[in-house]
Amino acid sequence: MDSISEVSDPTDWLPTPLPLLAPVDSALRCQVCKDFYETPMITSCSHTFCSLCIRKCLSSDGRCPACREQDQASKLRRNWAIQEVVESFKTARPQVLDVAKRRENEEDGSPVQIKGRKRKWQDVGGEREDAEGARKAARQTRSQSRKATTSAISQDIVILDSEGDDDYDPSGEAEDYPQPGDGLVPCPVCGARMKEEAVWLHIERCDGNPPKKLSEARSITPQISASRHNRPPQPNLIPRLPQLNYSLLKDGALKKKFDDLGIPNWGSRELLIRRHTEWVNLYNSNADSSTPKSNRELLRELDLWERSQGGRAPARDALSKKKDFDGKAWMEGNKSQFDELIREARKKRQVPSKKEGQKEETANDAERSPNMPSALPGQLALSSTKKMPMFAMPSEPIRDGDGIEDSTQ
Amino acid sequence: MASSVASKRLFQEYRTITNDPPEGITAGPVTEDDIYVWEALIQGPEGTPFEGGIFPAELKFPKDYPLAPPTMRFTCDMWHPNVYPNGMVCISILHAPGDDPNHYEHASERWSPIQSVEKILISVMSMLAEPNDESPANVDAARMWRERRSDYEKMVRDNVRKGLGL
Ligand SMILES: [Zn+2]
Ligand SMILES: [Zn+2]
Ligand SMILES: [Zn+2]
Repeated sequence: MDSISEVSDPTDWLPTPLPLLAPVDSALRCQVCKDFYETPMITSCSHTFCSLCIRKCLSSDGRCPACREQDQASKLRRNWAIQEVVESFKTARPQVLDVAKRRENEEDGSPVQIKGRKRKWQDVGGEREDAEGARKAARQTRSQSRKATTSAISQDIVILDSEGDDDYDPSGEAEDYPQPGDGLVPCPVCGARMKEEAVWLHIERCDGNPPKKLSEARSITPQISASRHNRPPQPNLIPRLPQLNYSLLKDGALKKKFDDLGIPNWGSRELLIRRHTEWVNLYNSNADSSTPKSNRELLRELDLWERSQGGRAPARDALSKKKDFDGKAWMEGNKSQFDELIREARKKRQVPSKKEGQKEETANDAERSPNMPSALPGQLALSSTKKMPMFAMPSEPIRDGDGIEDSTQ
Repeated sequence: MASSVASKRLFQEYRTITNDPPEGITAGPVTEDDIYVWEALIQGPEGTPFEGGIFPAELKFPKDYPLAPPTMRFTCDMWHPNVYPNGMVCISILHAPGDDPNHYEHASERWSPIQSVEKILISVMSMLAEPNDESPANVDAARMWRERRSDYEKMVRDNVRKGLGL
């Protein structure tokens, strides 16, 4: 957690040619904070969490959040192996992701294929109403291999939108890449580009590795993390703070403890107890760390916790303050998801299932006059617009470029 | 850490659910400056009277999330044994072990910090398909579901149509 702006996610891999890295990425994350393990600790039940995450869980209910076994903070042990894996993966990640994305982007701009990744609940055969797709003239290929991934993550990926797509693989099994218009086609297995006639021959012996120089793979100097092996994480010698038995401490004695610890002693007894618990967790997880922070830094984190509890400062955390957050893209993405969902529902509704009874069908039929399609989504989109101002960024015109929403403006 | 644990985790979940939404589910913060209030849309499961409907709900997260679970309230008409008349959803995953009013529920089904918005919404979706008759939040809906199933289903379908503005 070097910086809050670094919000990476396992799903980042899904639209790249390397979707199989999503489960790897996911396995290196703590299930409590969903971020990469920071100072991973192993419980008595052999589950692993960040030191701070598991300490907070244990001081909250004394149980492992994964399996509900009882455990104690004093029994936690460090998991150095995971820590090393996480750190080397975190180091390599931006580079790998960059290469994976570049592999798509450098070949962008070709009109040969227009495909999109969509959720599978969308009607495959249905009318294409993807606003985003309409906006982007040349959309990249992002089809994914379904066969290879066994994890649930990949289940939602389907190959759709085969319109004008002559070399679309009807089996849906091939993984392919954008066409740069060089007259070559990619091997669906290894991605190497070659003449179309050559592909079929090549495929039979393809072992997944491109036959020769795959430019990027060669040009990147591997990050050697060998030095890390020479210096394995070292335990530091900071002693752990004991938990207090608060019921045995009168207010005066409690505040005295706070003074000894050097943490603020204002507030109600209830707040004091919560603050002390938080401090012990922060302090001890820092003591677990192979790169402990200064006491001053810890006090600052305690102060941040204090604010997030709604105490002294506004407890709101603005998404838009996060530097790397592409708010506009996210909002647009989300907006189009909602729109699609609503559109889908409307479409289905217009073709009610037989088992729902004749009465409704006739009612629907009567209403389904020619101007129905434009009238109906307007109402729906309107209500969702009102409820969800998040789907437009302040600096952006609200809901541009989408005919359905225009009717609500 | 420039932000609280809760907001950071919510931000992460938002990103995950946006990048790879589960089938028939969409969710995200209502406004961009308060990550603690989300709106979700759940598609009615196929093969149920909820089929074809889109059901909006509001999720509110506590400051100590994910130690404590969010609350979830449907903001549309929802006639269901496990949804209070005011829309509040009552299912085990939204209760921490220990503060569960329905003692028969297994701890494994309840809230734990490793659960997520996504898992909640998937549970709620399957709750729509299969009401839990033993712990009704809406006693009348539960009785109707038990004793007059076709009336119950008609009521649900009427709400679906109303919700879609049909
Ligand atoms: Zn964690
Ligand atoms: Zn465990
Ligand atoms: Zn050893």
